[in-house]
Amino acid sequence: MDEPRRSALAAWLPDGVSIVAMSLMSGGAIQQNWKLDVLVDGTPQAWVLRTDSAATLSHSRPRAEEFALLAVTHKAGVTVPEPLMLCTDLSVIGTAFFIMRRVEGVAAAHRIVRSDTLGGGRDKLVEALGRELARIHAITPAHGGLDFLARHPATAPGLRFVADMRAHLDHGRTHHPVLEFGLRHLERTAQPAVDIVLCHNDFRTGNYMVDEHGITGVLDWEFAGWGDPHEDLGWLCAKCWRFGSPHEVGGVGSRAALYAAYQAASGRVVDDARVRYWEIAATIRWAVIAISQAKRHISGTEPSLELALTGHIVPELELDIMRALA
Amino acid sequence: MSGIAEPGPADLLKIARATLLQDIVPHLTGDARFKALMIANAMAIAGRAAQYGDVDDFENAAEICADIRAGRYDDNDEMVERLLAYCQDRCAISSKPAGKVGE
Repeated sequence: MDEPRRSALAAWLPDGVSIVAMSLMSGGAIQQNWKLDVLVDGTPQAWVLRTDSAATLSHSRPRAEEFALLAVTHKAGVTVPEPLMLCTDLSVIGTAFFIMRRVEGVAAAHRIVRSDTLGGGRDKLVEALGRELARIHAITPAHGGLDFLARHPATAPGLRFVADMRAHLDHGRTHHPVLEFGLRHLERTAQPAVDIVLCHNDFRTGNYMVDEHGITGVLDWEFAGWGDPHEDLGWLCAKCWRFGSPHEVGGVGSRAALYAAYQAASGRVVDDARVRYWEIAATIRWAVIAISQAKRHISGTEPSLELALTGHIVPELELDIMRALA
Repeated sequence: MSGIAEPGPADLLKIARATLLQDIVPHLTGDARFKALMIANAMAIAGRAAQYGDVDDFENAAEICADIRAGRYDDNDEMVERLLAYCQDRCAISSKPAGKVGE
């Protein structure tokens, strides 16, 4: 951040807050996270400033909405970084941004799935994940503050998913018989939602932070929306999010531990068949994303080894789908 | 052995990858090491493709996709077998061989 913008930020911050140090932590294609060390009335505090990258994709969730999601989930007891202040005035640093408390911990999926102790140990961590999901799923459309989320249609969530994925595939104009076969199965076996609740929609290892004792933060809320609670459970359990680990829940621990902790905390019985349904959906969704990422390389718009290799995970995702259906 | 003196594409990729992993990667750290391992992964995939040849693409994929969507292959075991074989053929090239996860 250049000096004029940093000065404008310093002037915008409340009285008594001064910036000690500021550096870029991670710069994704969509968002940037700035590590912000401040003094609040002389006391050191660790914050994060989250803003859009210069080249913002139109479909990324506006910062104001992400801030609202953090505020509602924080109030509901979900372990998220506490949101502190929001600025939608573009004249300050050129983009909207918000500030949240910085949480410490490990988010790297490959480290988490290999460790027997992180998060308090495998099944302890899985139980904690179940409790986080239960708290998220206690938030319903009746809660205020999330009116910007698209209203949930009356159709079964599975049918909405199928229509969504087919639209993506048609837009991409390539043909994927395995994904079509999987989507047809989901269409034929879709069931009405048990409840309509807030779903994180990207709740997997890699998107939460842990320390030696437990979860320190649930991150990456940009896909959140209303849906069936089993959607999040299926995404968390899907084989493609185990990072090569044999442990069924996010590569971390056992399904029994997750289901028991989730049921105890939510009062909602987990329907294993519904979880498996959303695991197939998760695999299809990841394959559709991987195909579109690979296309950015193949089309020449963004030559990238990483994007090229992402295309080569599709056959294994498709094999997982067929094995689940065969 | 044939009489051709020059090594073929699969052989070249194999020795180039082995050299990268043995002689270059150990000197790298951080982002450079991560990228070198991605390069090794890409060479392994290209090497397997050179060795096995291209997988036959699904014939009439557009038409078959439309038929699947319309329900004309519902409960069709023959199609399940065909799709499974199609996935396995592509995995033989794209995926790390079983037992070598984390290599």
